[in-house]
Amino acid sequence: MNKLSLQSFKNKPAKASKTNPNFIKVGLSTCGIAAGADTVFDILKNELAKKEFDLPVLRSGCAGMCYAEPLVEVNIEGMPRVLYGKVTEEIALKIVRKHILGKQILNDYIFSIKDE
Amino acid sequence: MWEYRKLILVKDTNTGKETSGIADKFMFGIRERALEEKVEVIRAASLEIYNQGVVVKILPDNITYANVTKDDIDLIIHRTIEKGEKIEALLYQKTEKQCRVVLRNCGVIDPENIEDYLARDGYAALAKILSDYSPEDVIEQMKESGLRGRGGGGFPTWMKWNFAKAQKEVVKYIICNADEGDPGAYMDRSILEGDPHSVLEGMIIAGYAVGAQKGYLYIRAEYPLAIERVMLALQQARDKGLLGKNILGTDFTFDLDVRLGAGAFVCGEETALIASIEGKRGCPSPRPPYPSVNGLWGKPTVINNVETLANIAPILLKGGKWFASIGTEKSKGTKVFALTGKVSNSSLIEVPMGTTLREIVYNIGGGVLNNRKIKAVQTGGPSGGVIPEHLLDTSIDYENLQKLGSIMGSGGMIVMDEDDCMVDIAKFYLQFCVDESCGKCAPCRVGGKQMLNILTTISEGKGAMEDVARLKRISRAMQKASLCGLGQTAPNPVVSTLNYFEQEYLEHIQNKRCLAQKCSSLFVYEIIQDKCKRCTLCQRNCPVEAIDGNRDIGFTINQDKCIKCGKCFEVCKFEAVAR
Ligand SMILES: Cc1cc2nc3c(=O)[nH]c(=O)nc-3n(C[C@H](O)[C@H](O)[C@H](O)COP(=O)(O)O)c2cc1C
Repeated sequence: MNKLSLQSFKNKPAKASKTNPNFIKVGLSTCGIAAGADTVFDILKNELAKKEFDLPVLRSGCAGMCYAEPLVEVNIEGMPRVLYGKVTEEIALKIVRKHILGKQILNDYIFSIKDE
Repeated sequence: MWEYRKLILVKDTNTGKETSGIADKFMFGIRERALEEKVEVIRAASLEIYNQGVVVKILPDNITYANVTKDDIDLIIHRTIEKGEKIEALLYQKTEKQCRVVLRNCGVIDPENIEDYLARDGYAALAKILSDYSPEDVIEQMKESGLRGRGGGGFPTWMKWNFAKAQKEVVKYIICNADEGDPGAYMDRSILEGDPHSVLEGMIIAGYAVGAQKGYLYIRAEYPLAIERVMLALQQARDKGLLGKNILGTDFTFDLDVRLGAGAFVCGEETALIASIEGKRGCPSPRPPYPSVNGLWGKPTVINNVETLANIAPILLKGGKWFASIGTEKSKGTKVFALTGKVSNSSLIEVPMGTTLREIVYNIGGGVLNNRKIKAVQTGGPSGGVIPEHLLDTSIDYENLQKLGSIMGSGGMIVMDEDDCMVDIAKFYLQFCVDESCGKCAPCRVGGKQMLNILTTISEGKGAMEDVARLKRISRAMQKASLCGLGQTAPNPVVSTLNYFEQEYLEHIQNKRCLAQKCSSLFVYEIIQDKCKRCTLCQRNCPVEAIDGNRDIGFTINQDKCIKCGKCFEVCKFEAVAR
């Protein structure tokens, strides 16, 4: 890994380079893991691999909504950013099948939704 | 770019249930006008709005309507969906209650990847001070910010740094206190797990300001994931030249290490924590001298809480003035709380200082669980107290909470309803402090135990009227004469519950009754024969086979065997179990 210097911060481009707008994020802190987020993380990864769908599954810390763990955030270009909560193994599969492959938002599990 | 169909999101925010049929009515209306190709109706589990009747949110227009009734549906479809107009009378203006400074990255970035942190201005504050600020400038900004310690005491951070800086010693230390041990508190754990670099950056800046070369993160061993992520972050920071020799190519050198706490609450007290790092038994010692003068291995040491440290980088990046513009006159910035207990949404929240408890419980927490009546909110953990319902409109800052006999503490906030008994709560916290007392000083060791004995007698219905005065007397002795904060504050939950709920103590003492039905010596479970349908559910669910009888002769509870777990009471469908 290259070491950073004071200069690296001065030369920083105004906005970070274009990032992939398509990704899923799973909250993997102690609160999420206790509610089963690690299983959900694995299922999402496996299911996407099985369907040969290229979508990064990322990890994040606690978003604060402990009551709704496990939390899965789905970002697909052209669709709103959706935060699903209380995601079980079954719902995780549904997210892949309906939301990601079928471009169809799920009923009853949205805990936050934004147009971004 | 929105390519999706127009979305109508529906949620009944009063009942917590689905949507009282309104989603179906919307669907019907959409189909009637043959709009289903263009519009979709979705039931949401939450729209982050509470007690506003049926809430309807329309995307991508980003229009939110509250208290929507069935009669409004046609109007909404016609005017908003078809014509794109807003209906003023229904509009709901959401005001943002939370304000994320400390938690700016938690739940957003990957905590195991330093690039994510760097992409969100990570270490930009460090780069800025190393190129433009002298240590004095840093402390000046900290002074302007008004930041006070988030570990409980609320001591101005800049003063602590300034004391340590003024010491002529060559070797100085920075310590991050991550021993978080209050029951119900998990703010520091979430910060370390969700954004470890923010704490490291704060420590490195502190090191630069006071002239330290070395720092330690003292993390309790019960936080394995936090430890793992901090270790990883340290390695990444070292690889990037953000830690170690010649940080960012300058002549500033600073490194960090992790030390594990073995889970004693008292080791969160700064002098005990220092003893523990030194390999000694974790017992506090009298102050002064304060750690900033004579700390770790006798050297000047700054010891700060995790949340305090996570505030540092934003302060230096955006300026002390910016930080001081958030919060109240004497308490600047935000505070993170772990909101738990009988609240609908147990959550980790961050609000500007000065927010009221009522706003927190009802507008962020979604109200009391199962729409019950709130009795009090506990803050400050075992060193704090309860704030009764009629004082919930108090705005939260260090001074106000203290005036009410509680403290800000580190940020645990536990909501209590009518089923919580105040004697029982006091007993719970006191038991915790008795267990955690290190035993070094007599007021804490002996006083705590004696108070616990008295509380136990009261909860068993064997208390005497003199007990109340006795509790108050021992409390005063402990508060005045204990060696460290543990003993000095241990009586607080008792003093505060006595202050606001003395009647409840008297009820236990005089009438031998626990109205919340928590103190199990004061009630029995019984089966009301007239109501019993002999379904056997209680008998089958009793974990200790204390329910005698059968379908023919009926059922009775054997009081000698009963452990008063309440299972029969819970499972009975006919309200035939009384207590
Ligand atoms: C019994 C006891 C336990 C404490 N536990 C903690 C703790 O877990 N975390 C913490 O940051 N401070 C704790 N403190 C407060 C510390 O002694 C110290 O005030 C704090 O770490 C200073 O950091 P700050 O100025 O950033 O708040 C505790 C104090 C006492 C008396």
